[in-house]
Amino acid sequence: MMLHPIDWTIIAVYLVGCVAAGVWMKRYVRGVEDFAVAGRAMNTNLGVASLAATELGIVTVMYTAQFGFQNGFVGAMPGVLTAAAMLLVGMTGFVITPLRDASVITIPELFEKRFGKLVRWLAGLVVVLGGVLNMGVFLRLGGEFLTHVTGLGNTEGIHIALPWGDGSATLDAGYLELTMTALLAIVLVYTVLGGMLSVLVTDYLQFLVMGLGIVVTSILVVTNTGWTELVDRLWEAFRATAGAAQGERNLVMTNPFNPFGEGGIGVGWVVWQAIHALAVVTTWQTTISRVLAAKNAATARSMYRRAAFYWVGRWGLPGLWGAAAFVYFWTRPDAAGLLPMGLDSQTAMPAFLNAILPVGVLGLLIAAMLAAEMSTDSGYLLTWATVIYNDLIMPCLGRHQPSARARLLIVRSMVVLIGLFLVFYGLWYKLGKTAVWDYLALTGDIYLASIFALLVGALYWRGANAVGAVAAIVLGAAGPILFVVVNHLLQEKRVPVSLVAAMEPIMNAKKGVILPEVIGLAAFILAFAGMFLGSWAWRVLLERFAPASEEEKR
Amino acid sequence: MIPDIDAYWLWFWTAMIFASIAWYAILLVWVGWRGGRDVVEMTRALLKNRPDDET
Repeated sequence: MMLHPIDWTIIAVYLVGCVAAGVWMKRYVRGVEDFAVAGRAMNTNLGVASLAATELGIVTVMYTAQFGFQNGFVGAMPGVLTAAAMLLVGMTGFVITPLRDASVITIPELFEKRFGKLVRWLAGLVVVLGGVLNMGVFLRLGGEFLTHVTGLGNTEGIHIALPWGDGSATLDAGYLELTMTALLAIVLVYTVLGGMLSVLVTDYLQFLVMGLGIVVTSILVVTNTGWTELVDRLWEAFRATAGAAQGERNLVMTNPFNPFGEGGIGVGWVVWQAIHALAVVTTWQTTISRVLAAKNAATARSMYRRAAFYWVGRWGLPGLWGAAAFVYFWTRPDAAGLLPMGLDSQTAMPAFLNAILPVGVLGLLIAAMLAAEMSTDSGYLLTWATVIYNDLIMPCLGRHQPSARARLLIVRSMVVLIGLFLVFYGLWYKLGKTAVWDYLALTGDIYLASIFALLVGALYWRGANAVGAVAAIVLGAAGPILFVVVNHLLQEKRVPVSLVAAMEPIMNAKKGVILPEVIGLAAFILAFAGMFLGSWAWRVLLERFAPASEEEKR
Repeated sequence: MIPDIDAYWLWFWTAMIFASIAWYAILLVWVGWRGGRDVVEMTRALLKNRPDDET
């Protein structure tokens, strides 16, 4: 179904309103503090809206729906675990209270106070690399959702002849590339002008549009499919396909209700997701930037407690759409256990919504998803630009600190540069579909494992030192990279048979690769081992070769 | 026929999904109203605290 003029009107009204509000906020920006953390003047409810809007982009909807498509209701498990972690942190103040009390702008800035400049710079590098590379796939996945849900193909577009080579080289761009480039340009305009102040206000508007779209779509998905039909068909598909390997087009369901039962996703995977969830809510810079923009630590904790249950829906509702999409395609008379040509487990959900949603609601859903994408992009652009400015550039300038106007110009330039990087690397340069997901997991694990170990060490262990911090950064990053290399060698059949046999307990027998939960857990174990052993070894060496004098001890 | 243990989980997910829809609807109205007031308060505070213009 193609879009109706009513749908286009809804989308246009939303876009104009959002940009006008974002540009309006420029008048309040008077320095880097306003630009990066909104002058630390944010209240709880605005914080909840901003946090919710930033942490739900189209990319989130795509992968959570894919989880639901492959694992039924169990696909919402990471959301339940994140909600529990958020509630725990909100109640105890674990990490976020000392972090907010430190009055820093970014997490690496805190590390300088504890471990020195080198650790701050290295941590900044890991944060930026992990964060920006992670964001690299957002635009493409967002574009895939929009082209499938609107019914537009990606075949039409522009073809520009390039001036080099033999004249046959062209730059081909379909609707996907053009749409997402235009969307990013809009986001860049208000983020560069108003920084966090524009991000907060546009996040608020985007939260309203996004929330309305998600609620209405979820109700229509349930009424259209029927709850009993949904449950019965998911169970039927699980019984019929149990044990089969999941691929791009085949319709295979794991245990859709019980993560620990027969054919379920497994205990190891749930444990990994629980640790991952705790690391995300305490260290992911885009989440933490809302903590740092809060008026005080009590506001930040209150924001966490109120936003906690939101995470169940963040995974559960798009997961519900994915599970309903599975049932929709599973029950088609010509299905034969396969999706129609041109669809896969990622694009099945938007194609399903395009088929069932009425005029008006489809426009609302697209406006909601544009809102989700714009709030995520603006929040992430600003966050990574602030880290580059605060932790990579400023420490190198030493005593030659630029003027307030120049500092603001530096941060704004960083926002534009990251935007350009995303367009050319993440959108116009095409990563393979399988590579996209390996890549997302890898970049996330590098960041989370290293920074979580560093934060916990810095805030709660008096014995932590700079050597342990560097070891945590190196091992936390090296672990996931090593496993990706091993997985690549396993898929290429270049690992000795005896070694493959030895690794059998930690491998997915159907896919012939190491289980993702083993890779994820190993990254955290290695990072914490680096922090502990590095700090301990350095202390022992110091005591043996450079013992402190009695005066120093006193 | 869904075994008992899986049926308990099904009840859990049913509660979570319908509670999420209700929670999103409530949050939309509550945060929509209060968050709007926060925006106004924040802009007033910024104007009051920073009389100098550096941009």
